[in-house]
Amino acid sequence: MSGKPSLESLRPEDFKAAVRRLAGLLDASSVVNLESCVRCGLCAESCHYYLDDGDIRSIPAAKLNLVIRVFKRYLSPGGRILRGWMGARDFDAAEVREWIDSLYGRCTLCGRCALNCAMGINIPAIIRKGRGVLASMGLVPDGLSSTVDLARDTGNNMGISKVEWVETVAWLEEELQAETGDPSARLPMDARGADFLYLVNPREPKFYPLTLTAAAKIFHAAGGSWTLSSDFFDVTNYAFFSGDDLIAALISRRAKEAAEKLDVKALVLSECGHGFGSNRWEAPEWLAEKTGFEVKSVLQVVAGYIREGRISLDPARNVKPVTLHDPCRLVRMGGIVEEQRFILRHAVKDFIEMTPNREQNYCCGGGGGQLSMTDFTARRRSAGRIKSEQIRRTQARVVATPCHNCLDQLAELAKHHKLGVEVKSVLELAAEAVVLGDR
Amino acid sequence: MNALRWGVVAAGFISLGSLTFLVFKALSRGRAPFYAAPQGRASSGIAYALGRGLLPWEKESARLHLGAYLGGIVYHLGVFAGFGILGALTLNIDLPPLVWMVLRLASAAGLAAGLGLLAKRILKSQARRLSVPDDFGANLFVDIFLATALAASLRPAVVPLFFGYSIFLLVFIPLGKIRHCFFFFLSRISFGRFFGRRGALPPLKSERER
Repeated sequence: MSGKPSLESLRPEDFKAAVRRLAGLLDASSVVNLESCVRCGLCAESCHYYLDDGDIRSIPAAKLNLVIRVFKRYLSPGGRILRGWMGARDFDAAEVREWIDSLYGRCTLCGRCALNCAMGINIPAIIRKGRGVLASMGLVPDGLSSTVDLARDTGNNMGISKVEWVETVAWLEEELQAETGDPSARLPMDARGADFLYLVNPREPKFYPLTLTAAAKIFHAAGGSWTLSSDFFDVTNYAFFSGDDLIAALISRRAKEAAEKLDVKALVLSECGHGFGSNRWEAPEWLAEKTGFEVKSVLQVVAGYIREGRISLDPARNVKPVTLHDPCRLVRMGGIVEEQRFILRHAVKDFIEMTPNREQNYCCGGGGGQLSMTDFTARRRSAGRIKSEQIRRTQARVVATPCHNCLDQLAELAKHHKLGVEVKSVLELAAEAVVLGDR
Repeated sequence: MNALRWGVVAAGFISLGSLTFLVFKALSRGRAPFYAAPQGRASSGIAYALGRGLLPWEKESARLHLGAYLGGIVYHLGVFAGFGILGALTLNIDLPPLVWMVLRLASAAGLAAGLGLLAKRILKSQARRLSVPDDFGANLFVDIFLATALAASLRPAVVPLFFGYSIFLLVFIPLGKIRHCFFFFLSRISFGRFFGRRGALPPLKSERER
């Protein structure tokens, strides 16, 4: 990011402004959470970072305490009176360095700690507020800030131009027609009044176009009424990870405007954990307004097609044992728990659950913007050991996951930890199993 | 003696008033109105958070640290018993012997649990490093409260000391970590509301059944 300040160049007034920013970010729930932590440390084993490195700094309570001690120092009467006793700390360069290392570098915002906290503290929500403070100081780690900037400036996180997007979709439509043998198979663009607008992860048109055709094949088989938008197609919102609410709202507004312009009934989100969380749960809060259309995951749509008998799947086409990784933002923090299982049970012959699973599943380590923050790559790969061991125990040959960030991380883990597994999206497996011509 | 009694009552009001003020101060920051359409029921999430969600088989952290979890429950029950003794002695309430016995047993068990948790915090390197002075102090202050409560319930000569110490503790509560006693319930409610609206909690099946 051009003009990005260094930690050393920050002036005392910058730190004061950051504390004011913290004060502004804290709502009632946040303060209640900050006042509740008793540093019992029982949350330690809920974090894959701590399980991997055993470092006290990786304990969720320790990460949370970074924010608590600054809160106490400036915003809590007890902490101002009894600073040393309460463990209150000045917000200075040394403290900020710790914040960057822990809040960005030791957390994927997966929320497993929140579920296991005796007090019920929403630790990832507080950590994201801490990130918001750092973002206000211009201290978002480079890879993450450049991803956010690219999305802000070009409309998607990979800088794909409108021409490139439209041409890619046209090419994929030809591919779909060839695959289905049906010249009426479409990837509709800007179809007004369709049932839903489909947002994709930019890595789909850029690197993995077949995941987009997989979805299109299923929609086609079901006779779905859907469309893509030439104006906006990005399901991701990396400002969720950076903590910058203003940019997050800007990106969210684009999705909302694209849906409104095409007058669709629903916004359907491709397989993306944080994309689901951002568009389904956070966007209305960032924009401070309700949406006039439904927002749902593509998993809900496909599961609906199966339930309604609009598509039939042949599990014999996927005979290798398959296990499922639950993306944190989709499942634990998003409430989409059973749909992916329902689809897989229809699409594959041998489905094996990981242990633990669903809302207690371990993070793969790719969330929280970790894949874009190269400063923390070694730590991310190492922390992925917990997920790798979980996968290995299932003895599955395929790991399915409905999230593109998870796909990237799992593919890297498969190599790094020599797991000997293929990594696929849930829709890919469903598309391989879909029986055409039943409609 | 009467002065001490009145001192306890006054300290109790100061404590409750200060805690209530702190809670209202926190709540005055306003809560997010939740514009996103719910997928589940906040009330179900809250019921889970305050009930089943606290049970050890629902919570991996409690299962893994069953000793600390049970110790914490006994400790907090002991604290309630300690306040029961304080209330009875301050207001001269004539309790049946059985109730006195229960209060004494509970505060004794609470004291043992509290000392155990304090020892753990001091002796285990990780817990020690995670702690701030307030964490040790709060535990110690409450342990002393339980010890004096127990002693006062057995020996009337200790009652003035118990009252004097209770005045200190009651005034200290809003300043330090012990104030989490008020925020705990709000935190659990906020947790249940958040996950309940999203349909993530309560889980469809208990984790142990999977």
